[in-house]
Order: sequence, then structure tokens, then C-alpha cells
Amino acid sequence: MAELLIGLALILLSAVIYFQSGTFPVGDATQLNPGSFPKVIALALAILSIILVIVKIKELVSKRAEATEINRKEYMKELMIEYRLVFITFFSLLLYVFLMQFIGFIITTICFIIGIGLLVGPKKKKDVLIISITSVVVTLSTYLFFENVLHVRFPSGLFF
Amino acid sequence: MFDLFTLGIAEIFQLNILLIIFVGVVVGILAGLIPGFTVTMAIVLTLPLTFGMDPVAGVAGMIGVLVGGMSGGLISAALLGIPGTPSSVATTFDAFPMSKKGESGKALSLGVWASFLSSIISFFLLVSIAPQISRFALMLGPWEMFSLIVVSLTIIASVTGDSILKGLIAGLFGILIATVGADPITGLARFTMDLQALRAGIPFLVVLIGMFAISRLFVSLERKEMIQDDKRRQEDKLKDIEFKLRPMKTLKNVLSKPGTLIGSSVIGSIIGAIPGAGGSIANIVAYDQAKRWSKHSEKFGTGVDEGVIASEAGNNSTVGGDLIPTVALGIPGSAVTAVLLSALMVHGITPGPLLIVNEPNLVGGIFFAFLVASFWMLITQFLGMRIFMKVTHVPAHLLVPVILVLCVVGTFVLNNRLTDLYILLVMGVIGYLFAKYGFSLAPAIIGVILGPLAEVNLRRAIMADPEWTLFFTRPISLAFLVLAVLSILLTVWQNYRANYRKKKITHRPQ
Repeated sequence: MAELLIGLALILLSAVIYFQSGTFPVGDATQLNPGSFPKVIALALAILSIILVIVKIKELVSKRAEATEINRKEYMKELMIEYRLVFITFFSLLLYVFLMQFIGFIITTICFIIGIGLLVGPKKKKDVLIISITSVVVTLSTYLFFENVLHVRFPSGLFF
Repeated sequence: MFDLFTLGIAEIFQLNILLIIFVGVVVGILAGLIPGFTVTMAIVLTLPLTFGMDPVAGVAGMIGVLVGGMSGGLISAALLGIPGTPSSVATTFDAFPMSKKGESGKALSLGVWASFLSSIISFFLLVSIAPQISRFALMLGPWEMFSLIVVSLTIIASVTGDSILKGLIAGLFGILIATVGADPITGLARFTMDLQALRAGIPFLVVLIGMFAISRLFVSLERKEMIQDDKRRQEDKLKDIEFKLRPMKTLKNVLSKPGTLIGSSVIGSIIGAIPGAGGSIANIVAYDQAKRWSKHSEKFGTGVDEGVIASEAGNNSTVGGDLIPTVALGIPGSAVTAVLLSALMVHGITPGPLLIVNEPNLVGGIFFAFLVASFWMLITQFLGMRIFMKVTHVPAHLLVPVILVLCVVGTFVLNNRLTDLYILLVMGVIGYLFAKYGFSLAPAIIGVILGPLAEVNLRRAIMADPEWTLFFTRPISLAFLVLAVLSILLTVWQNYRANYRKKKITHRPQ
């Protein structure tokens, strides 16, 4: 099912690329335009994705006959339990990157490591201590290394 | 040829570079050991650290990581029966039974010796073959280069993932990612959606870190994986195995099986040189071949020497093989060597057939870094094995956030841009979905790196002569294209036959 959706998304993507490639300025006839190569690739991708979609629909139809109807709600619940940490981690990562420009690298990084560490692992007193120490050491050592050796300027935030 | 050696030796035998390679080997072994932390991840994350070094030092360090990583999987494979990396799956077949019989020390040292000696064999293959191939490649025009890239991509698509269809889709998707940004010939901005951040294109390394590191971390956070990991750790604690290494005695054991050693090393080198096929395939194929040729093949799987030697020789020799097309043609054989090439590009060096002519010191340096890394691997494995084993106890809840932060830092350091971090997240999600539904990531990554090269060569070819049939009338170009079509047809045919057989078997009992 998911593969079917991926296939459809890819067909859409190749259509967008194909039609956008047509809008690029055309040079003289002896050479390829900026749009030609993407056009060819998009066409190839579209054809392969259509094949994928057809194969998957065929599979789905033949399976539908034997498979019993699964309760949609149960299924969603199961999905949430299985991928809970993945979802939460993704959104924390997004938040971390977003907040970095306002609060600065050091504070957000320390908070992020502690947050994810406690989310994923056990939450006893000893573990909190270990993860806190790790986060501070990792953050400060990467910060100092890149600032001093490679002269990278990390975002320092609005307060400093 | 000999200038290459003297220049290489002069580049590598300096105290600081030897030290860098040593650190790389240790990092690689650790990455190979810790389940959930892959060698590719380690290479990707060491890259930002090498920006400040000169190109030879940076590349030498990465080769250290690669060589160390290939042999790191051995320890957990032999002692626990769990492959630390996909490249040591076949190692568990014989090394684990051997260690269950109480000969853990023998299994480990056999593996280390096989890894080392096979690296040396593949080193000789590398230095003798790579310069010849690049000399041949210099004669190729844009038509042949384009066809060569096409065949590389179809081969990658056919050897990885669950179907060639998905492999090709992933490869084309990678090429499309690379078309975002300035057009390589006229400089026109393409598909940027009017975003300033996309004008320079989507940086290759951001795609790589997102697809290989972030997506892998997401996978390890699934509940299934977490439960498995917990179980593994509990088992792990029960096994504080005592072992003695006896390096000299096992060296004799390995040398008494020259056929297995050399055969597996050659198989490993060839498989390594094929784009997309790497340690994980070589490991199994070498084991299988050794079993087929052995006089007592029925004993395989119970802990025989040849089994351990073949599997470890197979995966370690892929490093030398992998470097052949990378150095000679500028076409990376795997995600890992793709990183190596992009490190060179960061320093303004263009990989390709001219690399050996223009940068002989660099190419010599790559060769000798590989040799030195193999020696360091031998020494550190024998002396530090006990210490390394303790590191497998690092819990996932420390590892995951720290590596996520390192990914973010690595991406940021690249261009000093916060917008790259959002691209990183998008690529992480795409990579996760791809991996989840059986689209392999290797063709996508190689597509990103080879896509622009394909386009430039295609357009140069048309510019030189608008006659497009030249792709089919120039013999070498035609040969490559025929090979590309064959690689697709062969895989489709094989799949069809396998399915047909499966159907026959399932239908018979009824």
C-alpha cells in the first residue's frame, strides 16, 4: 500500500519536473537545453513508477481476496506504538534546528541530547546524571573544536 | 608507476599522518563493533573533521576508518553470533560455532589474519590494475563516459535492494536531486522553487548524512528494533568469554590454506570494484565459493578454519577493489568511496581518469594509506581486542542523541548555513521511507554524485557532434550500453525464474 503511494508521489514529481523543464530558455539547436536532461530523467522515472504502481495494484488485488479486513483503528493504534519514538524524535529534531537560531547552539544541543536520551532510555537518577554529563561534554567539545580548529561560527542566539 | 610509489610513501610516512590513520582505524573498528552504528555513518561523520586538514591527510584518515570498520564486525560476529555490520553476516556461520567449541581466541585471530592478508593481496591488485584502467579511460570521449555512467548505475540498481525496478527508481531519483540548482553548463537556476538556499543545489553531503545516518537512527528507534537491542544486551552480559589469541600459531593456520585466502581475496576485490556491490555481498559469496571448492564442504558451518578465513578475507579485500574505479575513473563503488570523492571535491580536486596524472602524490597517498591502515588494523586488533569488547556496552539512549547532534553539526559545518539543516531533515525522512519500503539507498546516493557527470558528458557529446547515434556507433560506448541492458535483463530474468520456482514448490503439495 505504502509502495503504491510512493509510486504515485514519484509520478507526480516527475510530471512537475517534466513540465517545469519545458519552461527553461532554449539555446540554439546544436546543443541540449538546460531542460533536456531533467526531462529525459523525469520521463524515465515516470515510466518506471507507473510500472511499480501497476505491479503493486496487481499484488493488492490478489491479496484482497484472501486477507481479512483489518480494523483501521486498531491498525493506526499499532502503528503509533511501533513508530512513537520515530515521530517524537523527528519533531524534536525539527524543533531543535528551529530553536537553534534563537537560543544558540550550546543550550539547545545540551537540552536536545538530554531530552532524547531520557525519552529513549531509562529514567533513573543515575541515568539522568550520565546523560547530563555526556551532553555537556559532547556539546562543549564539538563547539570548542569547530570554533577553534576549523573557525566555524555556530549560531550564538539572541541573548549573547 | 614507481613515482607514484615514492610520492605516496613520502606523503604517508609522516608522524602526524600515521597517527591520523591510526585514529581512523580505531574509530572504524568501534563503528563496526557497535550494533546500529555503521561504517558509512562513521565515514560521513569524520568528513567534517577533515576539512581543516590537507587532502592527503583527510583521505588517509577516512581510509583508516574504512579498513578498521571492515574488520570491526568480526568481534561481535565471532563471540556473539551477531554481525556488527552487514559485511560480517557469513563470518558468523563458522566463527561463532568455533567460539562455542571454546576456541574463541582462535576464531578471532584467524579472522584478523585473514582480514590483514587479504587487504595486502587487494592492495597489490589495486596498485597494479588502477593505473592501467585510468590510462584506458583517458582515451574515452564524452560518449563513452556517458555510457559508462549509465552502465554503472544499472549495475548498482541490479545488485542492491529487493528489485531492480526499485533500484532504478532510486537511482533516477538521486539524479533528479542533483539537477536542483545551477545548470552545470549554462549556470541557469533549475527547480529552486525561488528559494535562495537551493540556488547552489542540494549539497551531496547533506543528502548523504540524511539518507545514511539520520534514516538509520530513525530505524533503530522503532519499537521492534528497541526490543531486539535490549535482548541482545542481556545476552551480551552473560558472555564474558575468556580467550587466548596466539597470533603466531593461527598465522600458520591461515597460511596453510593459501587457496582459500587468495581465492576469497580475489573474489572480494572483484566484487568491491563493481559499483554498488560491497562487503556484505563479498562476505557471503566468498564463503559460498570456499565451501563449494572445499574437500570437506559438509563440515562448513561447524567451525572450520576455511569458513572464517574465506568470509573475513572476502569482506576486507573489497576495500582495495572499491578503490579501483574510485581512483581510476572517478566513479565511486560504494557510498563510502562516494564520501571519499566528495572530500576531494571539497578541496577543489576533480576526481576522474586524470587524477593519477594530475595528482600523483594524492593517488600514491591513497594507496599507501590503505597499506598502512591494514598494518594498524592488525596491531590494534591483537592488542586492543579486550578493550574494544567493552565498548559494545554503550547504550542506545546515549548513542542516538549524540550521533544526531553530530549529524547536525557535520551538516552545519559544511556551508555554515542553517537552511541546510532543514534539507537534512527532509533527506532523513526520504531516506527512512526508502529504506523502509525496500528502495536501496546506494543507487540514490551514487545517482546524486554521477548525475551531473552524466549530464555534462551527454551535453558535451551533443555539442561536439549533434549526431546522437554516435552513442551506438562508437564501439566502446555501444559495449557499455549493451552491458547496461544486459545487467537489467539478467536481473529481471533471474527474478522471474526464482519466482517461477517458488510457485512450483508451493503448488506441488496440494
